[in-house]
Amino acid sequence: MAAPARTTGTGVDGQLFKRALLGSLSWLGSNHEEVNRLNVFPVPDGDTGTNMLLTLQSAVEDVKESNAAEVSKIAKLASHGSLMGARGNSGVILSQIFRGFARAVEGKSSLTPAELAAAFEEAANAAYRAVNKPTEGTILTVAREAGRAAATAADSPDASVPRVIAAAAAGAKSAVQKTPSQLQILRDAGVVDAGGFGLQLILEGMLKSVEESDSAFGNLEAAKKPVIPAAQISMDLPEGGWGYCTEFLIEGNNLDTELIRRQIEALGNSVLVVGEPELVKVHVHTDEPTRVINLANGYGKLLKLNVGDMSTQHRRIIETEGGRPSAPRPNGVGLVAVVAGRGLVDIFRGLGVDAIIEGGQTMNPSTQDILNAIEALPYDEAILLPNNGNVIAAAKQVVGLTKKRVHLIETHSVPQGVSAVVSFRQDRSGTENERAMKTEAERVQTIEVTHAVRDTRSNGLRVHKGDVIGLINDKLEFAGDDYATVVNQALNKLGPDSYELVTVYRGEQASDDELARLESEIRSQHPGLEVEVQHGGQHHYPFILSVE
Amino acid sequence: MTRSFAVVTDSTADLPDEWRTRYGVEVVPLKVLFGTETFRDGVDMTNEQFFARLARSTTLPTTSAPSPGEFAEAYERLSRDHDGCISIHIGAQLSATAEAARVGASSVDGFKVEVIDSQTVSMPIAFLCRVAAESETLDEAVAAVKERVPKTRVLALLDTLRYLEMGGRLSRAQAMIGTMLDLKPLLLVANAEIKPVDRVRTRSRAVPRMVEFFRSEMPVETLAVMHAQARDEADAIATQLRQELPDMEIPIGQIGCVLGTHTGPKALGLVYVKK
Repeated sequence: MAAPARTTGTGVDGQLFKRALLGSLSWLGSNHEEVNRLNVFPVPDGDTGTNMLLTLQSAVEDVKESNAAEVSKIAKLASHGSLMGARGNSGVILSQIFRGFARAVEGKSSLTPAELAAAFEEAANAAYRAVNKPTEGTILTVAREAGRAAATAADSPDASVPRVIAAAAAGAKSAVQKTPSQLQILRDAGVVDAGGFGLQLILEGMLKSVEESDSAFGNLEAAKKPVIPAAQISMDLPEGGWGYCTEFLIEGNNLDTELIRRQIEALGNSVLVVGEPELVKVHVHTDEPTRVINLANGYGKLLKLNVGDMSTQHRRIIETEGGRPSAPRPNGVGLVAVVAGRGLVDIFRGLGVDAIIEGGQTMNPSTQDILNAIEALPYDEAILLPNNGNVIAAAKQVVGLTKKRVHLIETHSVPQGVSAVVSFRQDRSGTENERAMKTEAERVQTIEVTHAVRDTRSNGLRVHKGDVIGLINDKLEFAGDDYATVVNQALNKLGPDSYELVTVYRGEQASDDELARLESEIRSQHPGLEVEVQHGGQHHYPFILSVE
Repeated sequence: MTRSFAVVTDSTADLPDEWRTRYGVEVVPLKVLFGTETFRDGVDMTNEQFFARLARSTTLPTTSAPSPGEFAEAYERLSRDHDGCISIHIGAQLSATAEAARVGASSVDGFKVEVIDSQTVSMPIAFLCRVAAESETLDEAVAAVKERVPKTRVLALLDTLRYLEMGGRLSRAQAMIGTMLDLKPLLLVANAEIKPVDRVRTRSRAVPRMVEFFRSEMPVETLAVMHAQARDEADAIATQLRQELPDMEIPIGQIGCVLGTHTGPKALGLVYVKK
C-alpha cells in the first residue's frame, strides 16, 4: 500500500499526511470511550469521543483511496469529509480545524516543519473564527496551544516534522490538563475538557504513525467500522419513489469536477461532486444509476461503487412507522426534525413533520445525515428543528451546504420543538413561520429528569452517581432521590402560577408507578396546572416536561 | 304581525329565547340521545342540565335530526295563519335536518315552503332568521337570506377535538391535529366546510388568536359571541369587542345541546355574517 514513512529531513507530503491521519484515527478509535467519560454534565450525553471519532472517520474516508502526492490534496479531501461527517459540537469544531489546515496548505505539495507548524496555527485560528463566542478551556484553547508549541519547535535549529508534531501533541496535552483551571464547570465536575482531550489523541496518533513507520498499520482495521449506526432518516415516500443513491470515486487524470458536476446534475438530484484532478468523489440520487456510471466510466477508473435502492430502504421505514403520503403544502415549506424515541417520533410526525432524523441526546446525527434529509424533501425550502443542544452545531453547517433555503430554529429540547412545530402554518411563508416558531419555542420551559452518571459538583450542587437530577432549560438545578420530588422543586422554581399546562413525556425507563406518583404529586401540589401525559419513549430521560 | 309568511328554523340555530317572540320564529328541535333516552334539544332539557349530564356520562350522546313528520306537523300548523314559510336550517353537510324539512314540506299541500341550507351552524342561522323576519315578502326574505348564506362564518375554539372527532364530523388530520397531543383547534365553518385555522397548545393563548383572526375578517354585518359553559370568558371577549366596535350590538349566546355534543364543554365561538 503506502511507502514506508519518510520522516527525518523530509517534509510532509500527501502520503505522509495520509498516514498521519490514519494513525490519528486508529489512536482515537482505541481511546474514544475515555473521551466519552469526560462529560461535564452528569447527564447521559457523554459521546464527545464518539462524535469526534465519527467525524474523523468521515474525514479519512476518501483520503484512504487517494494516492495524491501533494499534501494540499489530501488536506482538502479530509476537510470536505470531516465537514460532511461532522457530529456534535466538538465534531463541528474539528471539521473547522481541518478546514483551516487545508486552507493554510493550499497549493503546497509538501510542508517544511515551519510550514506544518504554521498550518497547525492557522487551523486553530480558523476554529476560533468559526465559533460565535469562543470559550477558553475547550478544544479551541487546546488547538491554539498545540499550534504555539509546534511553532516554537519549528524555530529550533534541529527542527523536524516528527519534532513539530511531538511538540504539538505535548502542547495539547499540557493545555488539556489546564482546562479545569479555565472553566468552572470542568473544575466542579473534576474532569478535563473532552473535546480538547480528543484533539490531543488525534495529534498523538499522528505522532505515533510518523514515528513508528509501517507497524502502525496493524491497528488501523480496528477503527474502520462505525461504532454506532448512522442516524436513519425516515420520511414519506414521494410519487415515483426515491431512485438510487449512487456513490463512487473516479480515479483519473485532469478530472474537471465542474464539468462532471454539470453532467451528473442533469441525471439526478442531491448531487455532490468534490475532489481533485486525480480523484473525484461523486454522490447522486438518480433513477438512472447505469447512465451515471457509464458517464463516469468515460473519465477514469471507478472505485468504491455503491448503488442503493432508496425506495426499498425507505418503504421499510414507512411501513414500520405507519407513515402516510401527505398532500403538498401550499407554502412549499418542508419540516425536518431531529427526534429520538418512538412516541416522540409519532408526535412529531402527527404534527406534520415531513422528515425525521432519528437522533438526539446520545446519537447526534451528522451534518450529512441532516443534509440528506433536507435534500430529499420534495420542497425547496425547509424548516429545521434540531431539538437538542448537541445537534445545533451540525444543523448550522447544513444551512451553508445546500442550495435549498433552510430556516434553522435553534430548539434545544423536545418541548421547544413541539411548541415550534405546533405553531407552523401552511398558509404562511417560510420566513413568517420562522419568526412565529422562534417566538413559540422561547415561550416554553423545559424540565428534564434523569440520573447522574457519576459524582460531580455542578451549579453549586453536590451530585452522586445515580441521583435523580432535574434540569431546567439545560441547566442542572436539583438533585434528589425520586422523580416526583425533583419535578416538584423544578415547578416551584419556575413559579407554577405563571403557567397553565404541564405536558409530561414519559421515557422508556419510567415505570407505571413512577408515572402515577409524578402525576399525583403535580396535581396535589399545583392544582392550578393542567397535566397531560404523553408516551415519549425517549432514552436516558425518564421524564421530560414541558411547562407553558 | 304584519308579514304573511312564517319563519322556521331548528334548535341548532341557538336562537336567543327573546328573539323567538321578538321576531316570531318557530323552532323545530333536534334530539339528543343518551343511550336509549331521547331528549328534544332545548325543550326537554336545558343547556345546563345537558352539560352536567355530558360531564357525568361515560358514553357520548348521539344526536339526530327531526323527522320529516315533525316538520310536516309544524308546517301544517303554520299554514293555518300564513300563506308561506321560509325554513332555514343547519348546513346539510353537517346534519340531515334540511333534508327532513324538504321531505316534510312536500307532504303539506298548498303551503309554500322555501327550505334554505344555511351551510353553517349556530347563531349565524339566527341572524338569517332575523333578516327573513324583517323582510316584507317571502321572495324578498329568500333573496336576502340566500345572499348572506355564503357570508356566514363560525370561528370556533374547541377546548378539545375529542367530541368532534368521536361524532365523526372532523378527523384529527383534517384539523391539522394528527397527533396525540391535546391541542386546542381553532376552526372556521364557511361555505359548507370546516377548515382548520390554527392550533394552539393552551387556552389562554388560544383566545387572543381567535380574536386576532376575527379582526382580519372585518368588516362584518352582525356578530355574536358563543360559549358552552364558559360564560366568563365569553363576557370578557364581548367586552373587548364592544370597545373595538362601539356601534355593533354583540349578543352572547349559548351553544345548545345538539351542537354541544360535538363541540364539548368550554367551547368558545365568534359567529358573524361578513359584509
